[in-house]
Amino acid sequence: MSRLLHDMNPSVKFLAVIVSMLTMAFFFNPWTPLLFWVGLLVVQVLMSRVNWKVWGLMMLPMGLGAAGYLWTTLVFGADTGGEVIGSFLGIEVTDEQWARAWSLAFRVLAFSGLSLLFALTTDPVTFIMSLMQQLRVPPKLAYGTMVSYQFLPVLKDELVQIRQAQRLRGVDEGKHWWQRALGMRRLLIPMLAGAVRKAERAAFAMEAKGFTGEPRSEFYQPVKIGARDFALGGMFLVLLVGSCVAGVWLG
Amino acid sequence: MPEAVFRLEEVSFRFPEDDRAVLNGISFEIRRGERVVLSGPSGCGKSTLLYLLNRLYPANCDGIVGGTVRLFGRLSEVWKPGEINRFVATVFQDPDAQFCMPTVEQELAFTLENLRVPREEMKRRIVEVLALTGLEELRGAVIQNLSGGQKQRVAAACALVMQPEVLLLDEPLAHLDPHTARELVRWLDGLQKKTGLTVVAVEHRLDLWDGFFDREIRLGPEGRLTGCGPFLPGPPMRFPERPAAIGEEASLRVEELSVSIRGQEILSKLSFQLNESEIAVIAGPNGSGKSSLAKALCGIYKKSGGRVNAASGIGYVPQSPEFLFLTASVREELAFSGIASGEEVDGLMERLRLEEIADAHPFSVSHGQKRRAAIGAMLADNRPVIVMDEPTSGQDAAALLELYELIDERRREGVSFLIITHDMEFAAAIADSVMLMKDGALTGKFRAADVWADPGLLAAHHLIPPKGANAHEPAFA
Repeated sequence: MSRLLHDMNPSVKFLAVIVSMLTMAFFFNPWTPLLFWVGLLVVQVLMSRVNWKVWGLMMLPMGLGAAGYLWTTLVFGADTGGEVIGSFLGIEVTDEQWARAWSLAFRVLAFSGLSLLFALTTDPVTFIMSLMQQLRVPPKLAYGTMVSYQFLPVLKDELVQIRQAQRLRGVDEGKHWWQRALGMRRLLIPMLAGAVRKAERAAFAMEAKGFTGEPRSEFYQPVKIGARDFALGGMFLVLLVGSCVAGVWLG
Repeated sequence: MPEAVFRLEEVSFRFPEDDRAVLNGISFEIRRGERVVLSGPSGCGKSTLLYLLNRLYPANCDGIVGGTVRLFGRLSEVWKPGEINRFVATVFQDPDAQFCMPTVEQELAFTLENLRVPREEMKRRIVEVLALTGLEELRGAVIQNLSGGQKQRVAAACALVMQPEVLLLDEPLAHLDPHTARELVRWLDGLQKKTGLTVVAVEHRLDLWDGFFDREIRLGPEGRLTGCGPFLPGPPMRFPERPAAIGEEASLRVEELSVSIRGQEILSKLSFQLNESEIAVIAGPNGSGKSSLAKALCGIYKKSGGRVNAASGIGYVPQSPEFLFLTASVREELAFSGIASGEEVDGLMERLRLEEIADAHPFSVSHGQKRRAAIGAMLADNRPVIVMDEPTSGQDAAALLELYELIDERRREGVSFLIITHDMEFAAAIADSVMLMKDGALTGKFRAADVWADPGLLAAHHLIPPKGANAHEPAFA
């Protein structure tokens, strides 16, 4: 097993994912997303060291969602005509409905599989650096994202502190999830008030280090891009075109 | 005589949204190689003045500047954005809000990339600055995981990697404990001697700097210069004297209190007693479990063993009092739990001098008022034992005096306090007793005077004895 996908240039990988998603949206047969999803699995098994336990946990809700799509489309889908191929609990299912239902379900799997492939094989910091170096994303945006990424643990810590303090005041967070969701408002206001101050300080610190937001020419750790990345991108393209053609042919 | 690095003539400064100027008629000169401190009470404009020297102002706030600011002989206006930062580097006060990259090396590289240093030279300069600052081992370290003192050193290294001529320091010790602060000052002293940098610092508490500075520029009210001359380490802060008057009744009795979080014991078998009107200071190194004790006492953390017997409730005021606030006005804040009657709330509001801000939003009042409101809310909830977490951190002399009065007044009403602080001058002035903590255990609860007289005990807990045998105003002068 190799780490090819982990080492692939994140921008190229990102483009491959976006192109695949957009293309996939135009194919309504069940085979294209199914083949593509299976293809992604094979690629990940061969070219990455994904933690499959995490993958399974993340895929679980997506799988449930896909099953839900399948069921609702079969039962509640608009009558689109076509031959009745069978009935189930008194519901008649036409062949077109059948195909559409499976297509939607597999599409959910293909999209989530694609997102997971990207998320589990990409380091966020390298991704942002690569966006700036290869795709010319403005440094203001790129480093702004970097700073907020650094702030996440600090904010999480603060949220815990605020929640503890408010419990002490006798705040009843409520039994139901919607009560708790509404209660988030109380937590967020003090947290955001602090975050605004921190953000301003961070901006000052960056500027004091000579950051002006202008595009830069010299990088300490250039994110490399080479033939291998294009080859891998090409592989995604072949997989995509292959599953599209096969899907149309089989459907 | 070395040439002037900064020269200000009759400088005034006003924020566009304010009517009054923050700075008025400021003239001074700072020469190469000097170590200068800008001092003055909070809100006197000293940070604003510092930001005029690295051009963060007026560009970032559209502020209106009068008079002339010359940086290295050139008028401030003619410098291009980012150009001055090659010569003037800055270290800020908040260790958590001055880095944008994950590791030390990447943060250093970020600075050098901004200056468009060629890649080969970047490598060389990073190695050099790490050697200069003695931070070689931290090269690949994740900044988030470093301690406050280490973060400030990394911030200084990021400043020095630019090879600046001037180092500006904006209250760099505000978030550090005295032991760490003192080490940082010694380290800066060594660096300045090696590099011959000009150092300009903003600071309101000068006692930790000992003899570091050559010259002091003092700012007073309305942002005017009130003095400029050789730096003399001032006398330590003085607090008014107060007679000890500990009550007879125990308000809190703790027996063998233990707390475990996720199977790890963070507090083990603490026992102590606190009487009515008693003020105890909890002190000890960072990570010794002081905050955990506070949270365990007031019920935020579940205890895994032992007993906490309190006559009535135990209140808690976090370092940021606004974390406690839930409503849109100070009055509602006190009345929130509904435990105190309307009359009782009125009485508390009067005693805590909160009436003038009764209808103000608790987030919009000053820090001192927030703390008053927080204590008011605790007393209204019938929690007459109050634990305060680091109320002294980052406070200037006036704010410390206000805090002192606030605590002393409540004590006279029979409230007892447990105060976590690193500020030993404050502790010496206010404490009846001192609880020393280390590694999640209580070394002991001592009479305050006994602790100050035992340097060995203090050093074992990363503490520095308060300046002067007794920080009170001498009673028989």
